Amino acid sequence: MNRLHLIASLVQVEFDTDDQGVTSANPLLPPLKEIWIGGAASLIVFYALWKLAMPAIRTAMSDRTARIQGDLDGAAAATTDAEQSASEIRTALGDIDGERQRLFAEAEQQAAAILADGRTRLDVEIEELHTRAEADIASAATRGGDELRAEIGRHAAVSIDTVVADTLDDAAQQELIESFIQRVGATGATS
Amino acid sequence: MSDAQIEGYARALFEIARADGTLDEVEDELFRFARSYESSDALRNAITDEHVPLAKRQAIVEDLLDGKATTTTVQLVSMVVGSGRGRDLPAIVDSLVQRASSAKQLDVAEVRTAVALSDDQQARLKAALENATGKQLNLKTVVDPSVVGGVVATVGDTVIDDSVRTRIDQLKSRL
Repeated sequence: MNRLHLIASLVQVEFDTDDQGVTSANPLLPPLKEIWIGGAASLIVFYALWKLAMPAIRTAMSDRTARIQGDLDGAAAATTDAEQSASEIRTALGDIDGERQRLFAEAEQQAAAILADGRTRLDVEIEELHTRAEADIASAATRGGDELRAEIGRHAAVSIDTVVADTLDDAAQQELIESFIQRVGATGATS
Repeated sequence: MSDAQIEGYARALFEIARADGTLDEVEDELFRFARSYESSDALRNAITDEHVPLAKRQAIVEDLLDGKATTTTVQLVSMVVGSGRGRDLPAIVDSLVQRASSAKQLDVAEVRTAVALSDDQQARLKAALENATGKQLNLKTVVDPSVVGGVVATVGDTVIDDSVRTRIDQLKSRL
């Protein structure tokens, strides 16, 4: 409502007259001539701007658009690269996990094999040691028996000489000689 | 020394002893001396040591036999030693004994005992061996302590061993 009153007042107001006697239709508006001239000038200016500045502005805008598009494309490429890298990293992480599990499994397998081999070797060595110990014991027992028999033989041999020498007195010597004479004379030669 | 040389020396000694009329006695003394030579390292070394002059070796032999053997025996042994044949003395003497026994139609019987035999024992032993071998024997006795006891009689290739030493050795080998 207020807006309608204002517009009506503008239309009904008397035009002012300027210094050259040109009267304005509206105190708020410039004279009509000035409006025409100003309008024409404005149109000229706008046309000039349109013809002269517009291409540069369009080029600048186009460049800016291209730059922004380039930035957007670069960002998209970077995003793609990042996603690819992330994918590769995830793949690599997956591979690492798999490799780690494989290594663990392999290590466990090798450890089990080494343990089994060690046990087998140990069993063989124990068996060899056992066999060798039994052979050594048997050898030592045999050697000990042989040495004991040899020692007894040595002592007996020494004792025999001593005992016989002590036992063979003159009477025994004569008895041996007489026995020899009788036996040889009676039965003949024994070689 | 060759067998011929040994025989030559034996024949020479034999002829000297027979010419001297002391063959039996000399033969017996030489036999005992030869056995002593075999059993005594000291006597063997004294007679055969090349570093000792022959004259000194002869003097040693003469000192050893002086008063224990006839002059002929001493001279014969001294002669052999003086000629540098001391090492062959046992072989020469054995040949001499064999020659003397052959001359008397006898075989040599060597008897080893640990103790000396009496004359009676020697006579009975000789008769027993003659009975056993069927030969007439020239009995040679040797006192050999290594026999320990009993008798070892050797007639030619026949050995009659009834010594204590042999029995001990058999027992030792079994042990």
